[in-house]
Amino acid sequence: MKSAHWKTRPTALAVAALVGLPLALSGCGSSSPASSSEAVTEVSVMDYYNNEPDKSFIGDALTACGTKAGVTIKRETVPGKSLISKVLQQSSSKTLPDVLMLDNPDLQQIAATGALTPLADFKIGTDNFAEGVLSAGTYKDKVYGLAPTVNTIALFYNKDILDKAGVTPPTTWDELKAAAAKLTAGDQYGLAFNANPTYEGTWQFLPVMWSNGGDEKKIDTKETEQALQLWTDLVKSGSVSSSALNWTQADVKDQFMAGKAAMMVNGPWQIPALDKQPTLQYGVVKIPVREVGQTAVAPLGGEVWTVPQTGNKARQAKAAEVVACLNSDENQLAMAKVRNTIPSKTTLADKFASENPKLATFTELIKTARARTGELGEEWPAQATKIYTAIQTALTGNASPADALKQAQGQ
Amino acid sequence: MTPRGPRRFGRQRKERFFQWLFLVPAVIYMALFFGYPVVKNVVMSFQDYTTATFFTGEAPWVGFANYVTVLSSSLFSTSLLNTALFTIGSILGQFVIGLALAIFFQRKFPLNGILRSLLLLPWLLPLIVSSAVWRWILDKDSGALNRFLGDIGIIDTGVPWLTSTSLALVAVVGVNIWIGIPFNLTILYGGLQEIPDELYEAGSLDGATGWKSFRHITWPMLRPVVSVVLVLGVVYTLKVLDIILGLTNGGPANSTQTIATQSYDLSFHEFKFGEGAALGNVLVIISLVFAVLYLRASRRAVDE
Amino acid sequence: MTTALHAPIRRKAASTPGRRNWGYTALALFFLAIMLFPVYWMVNASLQPNGTTLETSWIPLKPDFTGYATAISEQAGNLGTSLVISLGSVALSLAIAAPAAYALAYFKVRGAGIVLFAILISQMIPGIVVANALYTAYNDLGLLNSIPGLILADSAHGIPFAILIIRAFMNGMPSSVIEAARVDGAGHLRAFWSIVLPLSRNSLITAGLFTFLFAWSDFLFALTLTTTEAVRPVTLGIFQYIGAYVNDWSSVMATAVLASIPAIVLLVAAQKYIAAGTTGGAVK
Repeated sequence: MKSAHWKTRPTALAVAALVGLPLALSGCGSSSPASSSEAVTEVSVMDYYNNEPDKSFIGDALTACGTKAGVTIKRETVPGKSLISKVLQQSSSKTLPDVLMLDNPDLQQIAATGALTPLADFKIGTDNFAEGVLSAGTYKDKVYGLAPTVNTIALFYNKDILDKAGVTPPTTWDELKAAAAKLTAGDQYGLAFNANPTYEGTWQFLPVMWSNGGDEKKIDTKETEQALQLWTDLVKSGSVSSSALNWTQADVKDQFMAGKAAMMVNGPWQIPALDKQPTLQYGVVKIPVREVGQTAVAPLGGEVWTVPQTGNKARQAKAAEVVACLNSDENQLAMAKVRNTIPSKTTLADKFASENPKLATFTELIKTARARTGELGEEWPAQATKIYTAIQTALTGNASPADALKQAQGQ
Repeated sequence: MTPRGPRRFGRQRKERFFQWLFLVPAVIYMALFFGYPVVKNVVMSFQDYTTATFFTGEAPWVGFANYVTVLSSSLFSTSLLNTALFTIGSILGQFVIGLALAIFFQRKFPLNGILRSLLLLPWLLPLIVSSAVWRWILDKDSGALNRFLGDIGIIDTGVPWLTSTSLALVAVVGVNIWIGIPFNLTILYGGLQEIPDELYEAGSLDGATGWKSFRHITWPMLRPVVSVVLVLGVVYTLKVLDIILGLTNGGPANSTQTIATQSYDLSFHEFKFGEGAALGNVLVIISLVFAVLYLRASRRAVDE
Repeated sequence: MTTALHAPIRRKAASTPGRRNWGYTALALFFLAIMLFPVYWMVNASLQPNGTTLETSWIPLKPDFTGYATAISEQAGNLGTSLVISLGSVALSLAIAAPAAYALAYFKVRGAGIVLFAILISQMIPGIVVANALYTAYNDLGLLNSIPGLILADSAHGIPFAILIIRAFMNGMPSSVIEAARVDGAGHLRAFWSIVLPLSRNSLITAGLFTFLFAWSDFLFALTLTTTEAVRPVTLGIFQYIGAYVNDWSSVMATAVLASIPAIVLLVAAQKYIAAGTTGGAVK
């Protein structure tokens, strides 16, 4: 009967529409074939320098390098946390930019997908770059990304507070514990660091872990346990506020600036904010080591510039020119000075440190800085998660440092 | 009155046509915007989907392996418990307070409309701003809440709202209730306004006032709206992600880790997209089960 | 809260003629003060030089307006963009959702159950899944960086929600009114336009309100579906003060405060229209 036919049709139609239509659409993925015969006039760039002053400065540097290579720059800046999502979206829709900036620990992940071009293909030289920088940018013995400037973390201390208490900047763990305890009074804590459940918390823990000989491949070792014990003791004794479990590095800086912490673990990018308060006199030393004689090893931070595989050889070549230009000596020095970071080439270190005394300690540290992905490559994120999980477990008192590390490693 | 023979069929077809005309734009929109993502998410949960897949398009089929991995991980039982506590706590708080406020605002008093609208502000603020402000308010040492409690003498030292494994979940539930009250208040208020005055007048003639009028007039008339508010409330609360990430990142020590945050972590921090999708689908299944059970129960109650 | 239910709820007139109920207003202000304290704290933060409330007193004694200066000079355009997108989203969502809700509430259509079920499921999908799928489609269709594109995408929050809410309200409406209209010879469309819609005013405004809020506070689609600064809603605009290393909280807070103002004005205006007893007299 006709009416019954009408009754069942809408149902089938609804189901078909809900499933079929979108599936049909999903087949429409286009990858525009690249024509490498036309001259390249424009190069697209994506980075996460979305706020001032980085945004303007990097923008100007890119434009200058673009002019040198004879192209205009089309730039997209995204908020830091969203960069990887955007990269993945662009990967699948085959719309990766010609020049892509990546945070250095992410480079291995992206290189492993085959989305990047080895820089040696474009004859970009890698001489004199600090070891850690090359290690971060290398995947399976090929260099995929180079960072013009890098950064790391060290121990900031409030000169006035330390002088008043008669404390000298600590160099060993015992001195650190003693100093922090002595400097904790009223609503002022001796030390502030970031131990939150993100990669930032892991990042801040790496110096004490690595300086003591701990290794990220296997974290339930005695050396790492000793480092975690230090962190735990500092919080348990009250020298470090338990709010460290929730703080970001920005919060740590706020505490230090408000005089609520006499010392802090932080990086040189905070210097502009610190300098805005002239009454705050601060100094920087390396993060203490457990025993005299150990080397202070700091983690390498900073962004690398890469050339994705866009399928258009001409554009990739131009992109490589831009990347090489960004990494030139002049650019490294200029960028580092404005952005309060450190040039990646060791040959520039002495000159830079003499011209920028505030960054001298950091410049020293870069020489021996270690890339987070140096040993583990793409396996780093999983291991980094285990490290901050262990830190959180130990600092909340849920388990002893040894047990916390064993639990985390076993997961 | 009704025409017979061939004209009757014609009229029925025209009926159906118009009826579907009302529905079709919505069906098309839903199919386009939700159909593909749902299908893709289900398929992704059965594949070994990594960052490489985004570039190469290859994702080997692994069947139920992802589901087995996530469901048997030690973190899952913690996140499941946290999700349950978080959801129950949030819904109870939001609904009860929202309903109480909606009933309160039924009264006529000066500035009623403006004050009711201002109460929508928590929903208006970007989550990045709300979570930053709440983090400052709940800070152990210098936060406004502890300062206030200390000033009026309830506590001596700062309460570690966001850094204690026992209190963090409470704090996060509290903030979520704060965000959810405007939603419940506004919809329930609209529903209450729909109830005709005559019913109350007739009821009061029979002696039904106060609590009795609420139980026998208000509540039954409000039923369909309450159903929608509760079901949607649960569905939205299960999905809550940004506020938890903004406040605690799932910490301390996973005490505020829910299934939603764990799924996000797996996909976007550890790049295990197949497992993240599997966990996300587990959440959808939980939502579905709740929705079906609840709708069935409320339908039975209406029939009684 | 039984105290609030003591007297029968009357909405026709104040309980005592001649005396306005300022007591209730005071109580309401008290609730508001508690609920909106974080909003006040946000305003306080926006007036601090470094934008955080680490060392502030309860009242900002020395307000610093640099955050507002930055916000006004840089975000005014973005506010306009957000307004256009949000209002467009409300119009589109209501246009699609109201007829659909009506159909699902009254017509005995066979596929209705499935459609309702699908709508409920759509609310359970994490937003990022939808955003990723939309990016590819928008890229192919050239809809990136466009206001219509964002209006379409933001309606994805609003349409399913609006359908569910309006339908719930319509379920409470007596169907005798509709039948009466049809018997009088009105076609579907006329019955809908002249009778059902006016009666559903409360639900339309409530649904429209939340659709506006969803679109106004959307960040995910704004981030995913734009690649340039040509079209930048204010939620994304805020992020240009949040860098990978350093944040400018005072500008963030100032922008949030400024962004709330036009939205609140619209909401106050809309709420005035949620009147009592719209279906009350119609049954007679």
